[in-house]
Amino acid sequence: MQHRQKLLHAVLYALMTLSLLWALVPILHMILSSMKTQVNMFEMPPRLFFTPTFDVYEEMFFGRGDFPQFLRNSLVVSVVTTALCLLLGVMGGFGLARGNFRWEKDVSFWVISTRMAPIPAVILPLYLIFSKLNLIGTTTGLVLAYTTFNLPFALWMMSTFFKDVPADLEEAAMIDGCSKFRAFWRVVVPAAAPGIVATAVLCLMFSWNDYLFASIFTGRGTQTVPIAASLLVSQSGIKWGQAMATGTVIIMPMLICGLLVRKYMVRGLSMGAVK
Amino acid sequence: MQQAASRPLMRKPKRNRTEFWMLLPSIVVLAAISIFPFFFMVYASFMDYSLDMDRPRFAGFGNWADTLTDTAFWQSWGRTLVYAGGGLLAQLVLGCAIALLLYHIPRFRNLFSTLFMLPLFVAPIVTGLLWRFLLDPTYGLYHWVLNTFGLDIQVLGDPSYAMFAVIMMDVWEWTPLITIIVLAGLQTVPEEPLEAADVDGANSWQKIRYILLPMVRRMIVVALLVRSMDILRYVDTIVITTEGGPADATKTIGYYLMQVAFRFQDIGGAASVGLTMLLASILMGRFFIKVLRSEEA
Repeated sequence: MQHRQKLLHAVLYALMTLSLLWALVPILHMILSSMKTQVNMFEMPPRLFFTPTFDVYEEMFFGRGDFPQFLRNSLVVSVVTTALCLLLGVMGGFGLARGNFRWEKDVSFWVISTRMAPIPAVILPLYLIFSKLNLIGTTTGLVLAYTTFNLPFALWMMSTFFKDVPADLEEAAMIDGCSKFRAFWRVVVPAAAPGIVATAVLCLMFSWNDYLFASIFTGRGTQTVPIAASLLVSQSGIKWGQAMATGTVIIMPMLICGLLVRKYMVRGLSMGAVK
Repeated sequence: MQQAASRPLMRKPKRNRTEFWMLLPSIVVLAAISIFPFFFMVYASFMDYSLDMDRPRFAGFGNWADTLTDTAFWQSWGRTLVYAGGGLLAQLVLGCAIALLLYHIPRFRNLFSTLFMLPLFVAPIVTGLLWRFLLDPTYGLYHWVLNTFGLDIQVLGDPSYAMFAVIMMDVWEWTPLITIIVLAGLQTVPEEPLEAADVDGANSWQKIRYILLPMVRRMIVVALLVRSMDILRYVDTIVITTEGGPADATKTIGYYLMQVAFRFQDIGGAASVGLTMLLASILMGRFFIKVLRSEEA
């Protein structure tokens, strides 16, 4: 029995290692390739040990290209969208959680279907409206476009987090003489702080990672990093070194953010259905 | 309740006034960026409308008739079914298997599950670019691996493999989502029924089949629904790898819509395609809410 148990565990760990290889080899290959010279990069089998070079990164950040500007645009759009959606979503999420309105069900359903609407089907009408309002190619336009999925997400997530905060808490504060809004601000918001942070990080990630909206709504000067990545693909070929470095720059901040709110990841990615 | 029915907006007016005002700004903003565009799209679907046109002309059901009789439209939906069906099935099986694997290993469970979820954070555009690199017939690592096994195929350039490849990309990126959701469910399964099963001499497989899986059924449904809505949302990987090709082999409905709208500039037609996509995702959303509500009660 002991022996069989040991064998079983060995099989389980072997399968786990295989799964991890499947998940991680692409990412590692991308990061390592971005630090190789053109010659080393295409060697097969790939070299695991080599003297890293940061030429591609140096060229990207300090060269003649527009990469720093792409990066700045990405940062501005993501941060502004997240701030806007969080401000509205934290207040509205509380309203949704506690409101007990007659049409609460309809609002919830509307919110979730807006969040889940297929991006191509959202882009089309927005494109027509934005071109009438001269918002194509502007940062404002892109922020509004990201709000279409981040606001419903923030509303929905915050309402599930606020439902976890017992109503007694704000009622106690109100008995002590706070107005409802003050009680919300002073008592409920701090109690839901981890949820707010997790929601913010996910909003940031959804905006940062978007490509399709940006490909239609941005123009010269407002393009974001995912666009920079796609621009490296052309008829004449792909600049693989730069592509892998750009990919690394795009995923690194999100890997770090994601790991920071790891505990809430399941909840965020299941739209609050799994706690 | 009698009294409440006569109030148009709120059930308990006094208690909830503040909440109503707090929700209102979000509702207004959301209406402006979701309901208004929706009706605009309905309107556009009945108009003869192109990007360079100032005044769209009324077209009646012309766009709808064109779209619904277009074989390319139905073929794109067909490919979407293959893409979504194949991807979801593979993710479901792999995701559950790996969740069970993580559940059963005695040590390093947290570390392994954290490492395994890293692909979730990769931007879909980067996933596409990265897999294009891996499968590149000259430089690709995975192409080289296939080659050493005697399979010399240009995966992304071959109509019979391209769909498989874009499905694999989706599977790579999103299997961890199913895994972490199902694992979260498994970790809440109480000890007692498992111990009782041990006493009765059940083997591991029987415990999985008759206790663990039934108890995480809701998690599996939730994960599948979130994934099925999302698989319809994104076309990024297809845009950057195959552009719907080769020979339209990977042209899903989302890509078809982008093409009709922005390459052929037929806005009216694209609007009708978009509405069919919205309909599909709304039906899934309904189902999602229903699942959540039914299990809560």
